[in-house]
Amino acid sequence: MWINELRIDYHLKDKFDFGLIFPVIILFIFGLTAIYSSTFSNAIAQGNFQKQLIWGIVAVIVFFITYSIPTNTFKQITIPSYFITIFLLIVVLLIGQRISGAKSWLAIGSFGFQPSEFAKLATILMLSKYLSRQNANIDSFKDLSFTLAIGFFPVILILFEPDMGTAFVFIAMILTLIFWKGISVFAMFVVLSPGFVAVSSLFGSYYFFGALLFVIAMLFVFRKDFFFSGSIFAFNLASGFFADYVFKALSTHQQKRIQAFIDPMSDPLGSGYNTIQAKVAIGSGGLFGKGFLEGNQTQLQFIPEQWTDFIYCVIGEEFGFVGAIITIGLFTFLFLRILKIASGSKDEFLSLLSIGILSVYFAHFIINIGMVVGIMPVIGLPLPFISYGGSSLVVNMIMLGILANIYRTRKNYA
Amino acid sequence: MNNSRALLVILFVLLLFAALIVKLVDIQIIKSEELKYYAQRQQTRLETIKAERGLIYDRCNVLLVYNRNDVTFNLDLRMLHENRKDDLAEKLSSVFVNSKSHYLKLMEQKGKTIVIERKVPVEKAALLKNINLSALFSVDEPTRIYQYGSMASHLLGYVNKEFVGVNGVAKYYEDELNGEEGSRLVERDALGRVITFSDEETKTAIPGDNLILTIDKNYQTILEEELKLGLQKYKGRSATGILMDPNTGEILALANISDFNPNFYWKYDDYQRKNRAITDTYEPGSTFKAFTMAALIEEDKCYEDELVNVENGTYKFRNTYIRDTHSNQYLTVRGILEESSNIGISKLVQRLNNDAYFKYLRGFGFGTFTSVTLPGEVKGTLKKPNRWSKYTKTFMSFGYEVSVTPLQLINAFSAIINGGILYEPHILKGRTDINGKVIFESSPVIVRRVISEETSARVRKMLRGVVKNGTGSFADSKLIPVGGKTGTSQKLIDGKYSKSKYNASFIGFFPADNPQMVCLIIVNSPKEKYGGRVAAPIFKNITERILETNLKIFQKSEEYKTHKNVESKIVSITNEKEVAPKVINVVNVSGNYPNSENQKILMPDLRGQTVKDALIKLNLLGLNYDINGSGIVTSQSISPGLKIKPNQVCKINCSETIISGANIY
Repeated sequence: MWINELRIDYHLKDKFDFGLIFPVIILFIFGLTAIYSSTFSNAIAQGNFQKQLIWGIVAVIVFFITYSIPTNTFKQITIPSYFITIFLLIVVLLIGQRISGAKSWLAIGSFGFQPSEFAKLATILMLSKYLSRQNANIDSFKDLSFTLAIGFFPVILILFEPDMGTAFVFIAMILTLIFWKGISVFAMFVVLSPGFVAVSSLFGSYYFFGALLFVIAMLFVFRKDFFFSGSIFAFNLASGFFADYVFKALSTHQQKRIQAFIDPMSDPLGSGYNTIQAKVAIGSGGLFGKGFLEGNQTQLQFIPEQWTDFIYCVIGEEFGFVGAIITIGLFTFLFLRILKIASGSKDEFLSLLSIGILSVYFAHFIINIGMVVGIMPVIGLPLPFISYGGSSLVVNMIMLGILANIYRTRKNYA
Repeated sequence: MNNSRALLVILFVLLLFAALIVKLVDIQIIKSEELKYYAQRQQTRLETIKAERGLIYDRCNVLLVYNRNDVTFNLDLRMLHENRKDDLAEKLSSVFVNSKSHYLKLMEQKGKTIVIERKVPVEKAALLKNINLSALFSVDEPTRIYQYGSMASHLLGYVNKEFVGVNGVAKYYEDELNGEEGSRLVERDALGRVITFSDEETKTAIPGDNLILTIDKNYQTILEEELKLGLQKYKGRSATGILMDPNTGEILALANISDFNPNFYWKYDDYQRKNRAITDTYEPGSTFKAFTMAALIEEDKCYEDELVNVENGTYKFRNTYIRDTHSNQYLTVRGILEESSNIGISKLVQRLNNDAYFKYLRGFGFGTFTSVTLPGEVKGTLKKPNRWSKYTKTFMSFGYEVSVTPLQLINAFSAIINGGILYEPHILKGRTDINGKVIFESSPVIVRRVISEETSARVRKMLRGVVKNGTGSFADSKLIPVGGKTGTSQKLIDGKYSKSKYNASFIGFFPADNPQMVCLIIVNSPKEKYGGRVAAPIFKNITERILETNLKIFQKSEEYKTHKNVESKIVSITNEKEVAPKVINVVNVSGNYPNSENQKILMPDLRGQTVKDALIKLNLLGLNYDINGSGIVTSQSISPGLKIKPNQVCKINCSETIISGANIY
């Protein structure tokens, strides 16, 4: 009888990756604690703790559904889910609700969700499927163009909302996937350089010309034929001017946020305000923090809507350096675990799917915490499993379910 | 598969992990103290607690000046939604006097914070408290209230927007009135809302002292009313009047017409706001003869019945002519004063040498500050003998080539009639702290003896003669013996004596044999020029009205004691004039005033009111009172609704409220 039990136990470990689940559970509990603390003295947001708890239960159910369905289902639902999310992204542009500058919410009755959250997963599936088909060659012009087209179509729709943060996540995801597929250094250069020039142009004309010179130098290194190199350069030039145009097309609050990143003190009460207050909150926490519900920067609400994008401040202020390090340690552990699944998977589609999910988690993580500690511009993105928000939590748990599912069936693929 | 790329990913993840750790170490460990300080600085603030400004009372404890905690309503139009405007305007118009369209018009401005209603009393503000609109917010604005409007405005002064005293005692006793500001450490949230106070770091405010002035509200009112009436009747440009107690130097009333209302000080010009009785000088003219005469008598240079040739009205003195209004061949020395003969006094003054004459004039305080505790006093001009021309002494003897302030003149004149002692004029009777405890009480300050008691009595008698037989006859009252001296002086305009503009003045005192009050009236540029015709009747009206309210003065008069029927005379006069409203205003009048029995005054319910409110009511009723404690009235000895008997004293018990003193104004 007891041997039987042991066998079950063995099976459970084999089928269920606790290394994947435990960090997430702890992070979610951290998140609930921080949400409780940050809404404690806010009359309007006091219900958020309970709401998040309910969303947590929903997310667990969704996780187990995703975990237990046949792995092949992911491949089968790829094309319909991609087109459905594209459709929803268009719908949200037409009838969506505008919340803090971005038209990204779809309301169905009293229930609201963000199609862009689901579009992330659908796009990963679509790209993984496209890249894992037989004879796919990422270095070929055609395949690369198709890959970028599949990836950037939703990005363009999302930029119209405009939701810069999610667009960044998409770009990180697309680049990760083509990198994981095995793109050559030159092809990667062709993909990356326009972005590099575009970002440089935002800093001013000197940076812009510097970036162009760098591109020219690299083109000499790669020694491709003159016509090809010339057209790549022209494309770079164009992207530089285009970036300027896009910057001007951005909403003022996003423009200001980019400027505030370059110099937060330029407008301490305006767009630089959050960066400074976040730094003050975390910094005043010191080594061990001020204690639960004792963070006066949080309790006095110096950072607006702290339970969403700036939730890491609460942890940093109330639980100090120790709490902050444990949090990013748990994330790093989770990431390495996912990477293990991705590199261990024998099926290319599942491997790409895993690395795509990792890239989404990681992009959220680094943009969010980087923004809070002041090494990234203020771009509104939630911290996975921790920030308040139903859509984000559910999608993250679906993705975690996919990963657990891949772990469960890893031996089925040889 | 992809092992090298997995390694790259690991590297990338760890690199950013390291970058985050470095940054966290930087801000949570290295810069932690600095950021803690920054956090504390923005979360807490040292807030000042304003001290309550002291109140001002008259000599009978009638409250003249107090504070009211008003509220100003502001509206942030950027935060006001279009469809709430109508509703808000509706509500505002139901609470305040302005119409709904008035508010809607105000709200039409774009993107600004506007003042929607300024200085609203707290009771009214409470009616708006239930409007829960973030765009509408209120600011406490303590307001200084001058209970009787323009009354005694030049003495009281006013406070400017910053609550700093300007003019009058408000300025001179600024420090005493102001008290000491307190402070407290306040924790605020991001919107600046106060969350907690720290008790240990709270320093309570020390309220300012209350001032008790020497003025009497009734006398002040009488003086102002009569000056206004006189000004209307004689069509002068302005008028000044001072009422003093010659035996102490206490200023009982002081007024300059036109004056201003300190509650709305900004509506008046500088001329109206300044206390001309101390800031402006004039050449006193004939009233100055009294001082010349006092010096002559003291130096024993003449005697009352001595005959002097007054040259039939025109006298050539060196290269100029001195003229009299009434021409006589001979006048006694007494007659010179009674007829106000310039020639006579000019001739007499020659008997004094320059230094002796100067010594007396300086002794009376001319050419120096009186040291009254009011801001802006000037000292006038009294030339030193070495700078005198050959005419100076002669002209000075009848009040030219010397300039004085009205206060200087009346104060010096007091020395002539009170037995020869010059007092420092004063306005402050005492100071009390917030609990009514007396912390300072003034006493008469003797400057010097100028003339002997005997001289004083002799000149007093001559001055009685001026009113009885001479130019001051219009000042004479059947009720009480009055003494005084008229003055008519040509105004000095741009260094030349004006032919048409005069200062008509009268300075008088009563009872003539034992002066209790001295009063100076100056009318600037009246239609009729003579002081005896213009200022003396005003003086007479004031005298009689004061006597109606204060019979004690008669008891001090020797002549009164021989006329037992005076009191009945007074009673008949007061009844004829129907002075009932005036009588109601009278406070603390001991002795009998006849009308109160006819008044059916019912005792109001004072319980639950602040002491200040209660005092105002009691003062309006003219009721005597006795107050224990401070704060809010808890009980009263006369039950509400009972009829008040004359001379009844209402005892009032008060207790401090729980609210800290800083909030009650």
